[in-house]
Amino acid sequence: MLISKRVEFSASHICRSPLLSEEENQRVYGAACNPHSHGHNYLIEVAIEGEPAPVTGMIMDLKELKDILEEKVLNIYDHRLLNKEVEPFDRIVPTVENIAIDIWNRLQGPINLHERSTLYSVKVYETNDLFVEYRGGK
Amino acid sequence: MIRLSRKYRFSASHRLYSPALSEERNRAIYGKCANPYGHGHDYEVEVTVAGRVDAVTGRSVSLAALDALVNGEIVEPFRYKNLNEEVPAFQMAVPTTENLAVEAARRLRAKWQIVFGADGPQFENIRIWETERNICEVSGREFQTNES
Repeated sequence: MLISKRVEFSASHICRSPLLSEEENQRVYGAACNPHSHGHNYLIEVAIEGEPAPVTGMIMDLKELKDILEEKVLNIYDHRLLNKEVEPFDRIVPTVENIAIDIWNRLQGPINLHERSTLYSVKVYETNDLFVEYRGGK
Repeated sequence: MIRLSRKYRFSASHRLYSPALSEERNRAIYGKCANPYGHGHDYEVEVTVAGRVDAVTGRSVSLAALDALVNGEIVEPFRYKNLNEEVPAFQMAVPTTENLAVEAARRLRAKWQIVFGADGPQFENIRIWETERNICEVSGREFQTNES
């Protein structure tokens, strides 16, 4: 069984690689390569997989999940310039793909520590019209 | 592997009516959607692409190439059209959301490798919203015909 929780954060980013020329950055990222940055209201949907405990009827206490999301993601990402203030985006471009992978990496340990739950997927909506889903490479 | 999805929109008219069925059967199956002059919807199309994230760009697919493909194959040919009259596939098949999704998937599949190459990002699936409550999903991977 899957259970999902949605949370939001707002952040700015610059989609620009120092390994690419100015023309290549323009071609790959378009307006998003503006060196002065721009921002989004991101929505994250995290799905965890497990079977409900016979007594509580819960896979995981959702308050606990909320606390993990706040501590491991929101407190780090919210109202930040990702390129300057959030690792690993000092080294890799904070595209929506890389954001989903980084959030997966931050959540997998703490969620899988829990006896009944494993992280199933991380969806990141950058806008209503663009989102990615990462299932740990599956 | 990561799945990236992008949404597009077009508005079009259609009529759900099969000449192979009687007037009564058409009315029973399609209800007011069989009204003779047709009607329209604001459709939404979501295309999902499965790919690997490039180590340099951080991108799994070129959004410019995806936009050009979907706009060229689906949005432009369908927008502000009467689907029954102006899209060849729907001169034979009834333009239900199911058949629309199958036709849209067929169009993307036909051009996919030309745009993205054999080793590039893969066409995972397409979802079409006819209304907020009517959604049809077709896999991008397997071959499907209007009969399937």
